[in-house]
Amino acid sequence: MDSFVILCFAVVNSVALLALISLGLAVIFGMMRVINFAHGEFIMLGGYATVIANHCGVNLWLSMLVVAPMFVALIGAVAERLIVRRLYGHLVTTMLATWGLSLFLIGAVTAIFGNTTMGVSAPLGNIPIGAYSIGAYQLFLIGITALLVVSSLLALHWTKYGLIARAAMQNSEMAATLGINCDRVYAVTFIVGAAISGLAGALLAPISGVLPHMGAAYVARAFVTVISGGGALITGFLSAATILGPVEALLSYFATPVVGQASLLLLAVIILRLLPTGVSSLWTGGR
Amino acid sequence: MNLSRRTLLRSSAAVSAASVFGSLAGSASAASDTVTIASLYDLSGPFDVYGAPSNMCTEFAVKELNAAGGLLGKQVVLKAYDCQSDINKGPQYAQQAALRDRAVMAVGALTGAAREATRPVLRKYKVPYFYGSIYEGGACEQNIFCCNTEGNQQVVPLLEWSFKTLGKKLYYIASDYNAPRTFGAWNHVMAKREGGEVLADDYYPLDVTDFTAAIAKIQAAKPDFIHSCLVGGPSMSFYRQWAAAGMLKKIPIVSIIFGGGQEHEILAPEETNGIYAAYNYFQELDTPRNKAFLARFAQAMGQNHAYINGEAIGGYNTVMLWAEAVRRANSFDRDAVMKAWETGITWEGPGGKMVTDGPTHHTTQDVRIIRVENRVWSLVATKEQIQPDSYGGRCDVFAHPNQTEFLMPQM
Repeated sequence: MDSFVILCFAVVNSVALLALISLGLAVIFGMMRVINFAHGEFIMLGGYATVIANHCGVNLWLSMLVVAPMFVALIGAVAERLIVRRLYGHLVTTMLATWGLSLFLIGAVTAIFGNTTMGVSAPLGNIPIGAYSIGAYQLFLIGITALLVVSSLLALHWTKYGLIARAAMQNSEMAATLGINCDRVYAVTFIVGAAISGLAGALLAPISGVLPHMGAAYVARAFVTVISGGGALITGFLSAATILGPVEALLSYFATPVVGQASLLLLAVIILRLLPTGVSSLWTGGR
Repeated sequence: MNLSRRTLLRSSAAVSAASVFGSLAGSASAASDTVTIASLYDLSGPFDVYGAPSNMCTEFAVKELNAAGGLLGKQVVLKAYDCQSDINKGPQYAQQAALRDRAVMAVGALTGAAREATRPVLRKYKVPYFYGSIYEGGACEQNIFCCNTEGNQQVVPLLEWSFKTLGKKLYYIASDYNAPRTFGAWNHVMAKREGGEVLADDYYPLDVTDFTAAIAKIQAAKPDFIHSCLVGGPSMSFYRQWAAAGMLKKIPIVSIIFGGGQEHEILAPEETNGIYAAYNYFQELDTPRNKAFLARFAQAMGQNHAYINGEAIGGYNTVMLWAEAVRRANSFDRDAVMKAWETGITWEGPGGKMVTDGPTHHTTQDVRIIRVENRVWSLVATKEQIQPDSYGGRCDVFAHPNQTEFLMPQM
């Protein structure tokens, strides 16, 4: 029984981590079709912002939940203004440009903080479950991921801004005719996506530490999740995370972590072979 | 001057031929009053946590030699290359060191992969390779001189002690590449010898940062202790998550690599307290010789130098053991230095007595089991004068002078 609870926890945790690292990308790539190769570095910057702020005496929760997303939103705003804005609609060019941005950010952080791991300890202690115990912080992580996903879903479908954003993404000319400033909508969406990525990095910092090149470990998994999810923005990547996460966690548990990682990728290949426009084409009809 | 293309080509060919023949003839240190040695450590990139402190120790060794009047009347010049945590840089810089700098000795290329890529180059140019990293053992060739612990010198005493003190059930968690897998093989050898049991061998790719499933698995297996050979920055997440799950006080961790990358300083004390490691050297070692060494070190390199761990000390020991061999040989020539090494030189280093071993080209040395508490290591047990493993006679440069193949431990 105890071991079953622990295993369920590992599975849910795996889904939550995939969702957490993918949400920012889902907003930027899913909505704007901007292949943001610097997504991993936005996560990394969020982690660094948290660790640095905390080392400077800022309360850990404040560093994670406020400082990090705001700082990365600022970086996102600058990147959008200087680079991404000029390249909307040019898929390959944005890919190269954001890749360059990613290399620049890794280099800059390495130059400033050095190529060494930094970190903060996980708060909240642990919760005993029978003979086992789990980190309470990881439960918090699962909770806040759920909260983030639900509020993004609500914001997109139940607020005026969500409606405008979706309109601008679907048909920017028509939206512009109706008096919507599409450039502004794009900019805000990009910044929100960056802020969410920064928050993800901040939340991950206590359990994984920060390194200048840590983004590489996340960016591939985030892309796999978002692309397997397909067109439906939030429900798409969420369903992909719900399929991929348990497979990875269970195979890591019962076989080896290498098998777990490999099967995640294999499963994504199979999904895309059967449903070329992603899991969500099952209920959106392939849009 | 009229320099035609033909004369330019001819003269440059002559120059390069001269430099090649020059170094092959071993006239490296002809009539100059300096002699050059090369270091090939990773001073940037993910392995700089190992490379930079090691290079610092090499620098200090050279300073100390020169302050004492140099070696055979020559000042020693250290040409430090930065291998940038890139395997390809090892052989490339080794070649430059041999041909351009006429180095008479090289240290560094610290990871197993870099060492294997670099040693053929140093062998080709007959530049003796003094290897100062802790490693899994098995590099047995004439041109390599291993000055730090090899697999059996670290893992055997640590596991012997662990099986006796901590319990019989071992759980192995390690990074997935050659060295941790070789160390993993030792778990089974030692479990058999000590009547223990290896519950699992879990290997993780180097970029994994989520260890939730791993921790669940360990909790389900209920081992008496964990043997960790996790390497690199991302893997440090394991210790964070292990402590966050409240397991640090419940199941002890032993490791032959923890601390070598300054993990005890990077992680918080509450994430590392009570972890055991095994090295020849640790900075807190309480001997008069080490105290004197640290005082000299602080004077030369500054009070706030990086922590000197069991990996970094290799940067010092290699140069000093080489210098001893040079003095006895009264020559910088590779073959003469090798002959001197093979006579069995006894040298007292910061980590105690070391004796060079002829047939294996390794060293007999002490190994200490240490425990960390609030970022400070303390001594738990010492195993004195452990001889290098002969690999059942296979590691013997007298019997197999041309052997270059990497040896695996026999079960």
